[in-house]
Amino acid sequence: MNLASQTKSSNGLTGDAKRGIFKTGEVRMSAGPTQAKPIQHMRRNPPIAGEAEAIAKAQAGDAQSFEMLYSLHKRRVYSLCLRMLGNVAEAEDLTQEAFLQLYRKIGTFRGDSAFSTWLHRLAVNVVLMHLRKKGLPQVSLEETLEPSQEDGPRKDIGERDLVLSGSIDRVALERAVENLPPGYRLVFVLHDVEGYEHNEIADMLSCSIGNSKSQLHKARMKLRDLLRTGQRKEESIA
Amino acid sequence: MSNTRDQQDGKPMNCAEFQEKLPELFESGANVSHDEHLLGCENCSALVRDLEYIAQQAKLLLPIHDPRPGVWDNIASAIRSETNHNETLPSGKQP
Repeated sequence: MNLASQTKSSNGLTGDAKRGIFKTGEVRMSAGPTQAKPIQHMRRNPPIAGEAEAIAKAQAGDAQSFEMLYSLHKRRVYSLCLRMLGNVAEAEDLTQEAFLQLYRKIGTFRGDSAFSTWLHRLAVNVVLMHLRKKGLPQVSLEETLEPSQEDGPRKDIGERDLVLSGSIDRVALERAVENLPPGYRLVFVLHDVEGYEHNEIADMLSCSIGNSKSQLHKARMKLRDLLRTGQRKEESIA
Repeated sequence: MSNTRDQQDGKPMNCAEFQEKLPELFESGANVSHDEHLLGCENCSALVRDLEYIAQQAKLLLPIHDPRPGVWDNIASAIRSETNHNETLPSGKQP
C-alpha cells in the first residue's frame, strides 16, 4: 500500500476544524512496517501506521487528526529545528510556526512524496526563512557562507595522535554539532543528518552545489577538531 | 584504487595536495580508503577514517528531543484564534 497515494484530493480545512478541541494529550502510535518506495528520504521517513488516515481526516478539518499528526511528527520537526538553530527557544517557536503552516497548507498535500518528507521540507523552509529575516549571512550570500578563518578547519598535516573511529558517542557528536559555526552546521545537518542531497541544499540556501560540498567537508573537518579536543580534555581529566 | 597523482607531473600527491583533493574524492563516491596516497600515509588514512566515521555517525543521530507540552498549547491556541477570526470572514475563505 502506498502511503502517499492514499491521500488523494485535498478538501482544505473546513468548518470541522472550528469545532475541534485541541488538547495537550499524547497520541501513542507505533511505527508501521517499512515498505519499499523509491523516494529519497524513505530510509529516514518510513510510513507510519495510521498516518494516512490522519492526513485525510486532517485535510477534511478534523482537529483530533491534526493533533495526532503533531504527536507523530513533533519530535522529528523539533529536533530538526533545534539542530539547525542550536537554540531551544527559537526551536520551539519555529516548531510552532512549522505546525501552524502545516495547518494552513495541509490541504495542498497531494502525496507526491511521503508526508514526513513534505513536512520536514516545510519545517526546513520555516527555519531558513527565519534565519533570512534575522539577516544571518550564512543563508543569504554564497561568499558569506564562509565562516571566519579562525572558525574554519585546518589542514591535518603532520599531526597524528587521536583517532576518533569507534570512540565517539552520540552525545559527544550532538554537542560538537551544536558548536559548529552556523554556516557549517546548516549544511552538515541538512546533508549528513537529514539526508538532503547537495543540489537540494544548494537550492534551499541559494548557493552553488560546489559551495554546499565545500561547506560540508569543512564542517566534518571542524567536527573532527571539536571531537578530538573533547577527547583530549576527557583524557587530561582522567 | 583511486589515483591522486598530481595531474601535471604525475608524482604521488603529498598530504597537503591530497587533503585539498579530499572533498572532491569523497563526493565522487570513489573508495577513498584505497587511494594510492593513503597506502603510505598513516596521518591522512586516520583523517579519512575519521571523516567517514563522522558521516556515518551523523546518519544515526535520531530525533531525541521533544518540544515542551506548551508548544502544542500555543499551536492549538493560535489555530483557535485563526478559526475564530475566519468565522467572521465571508464564506469560502478558509485558513
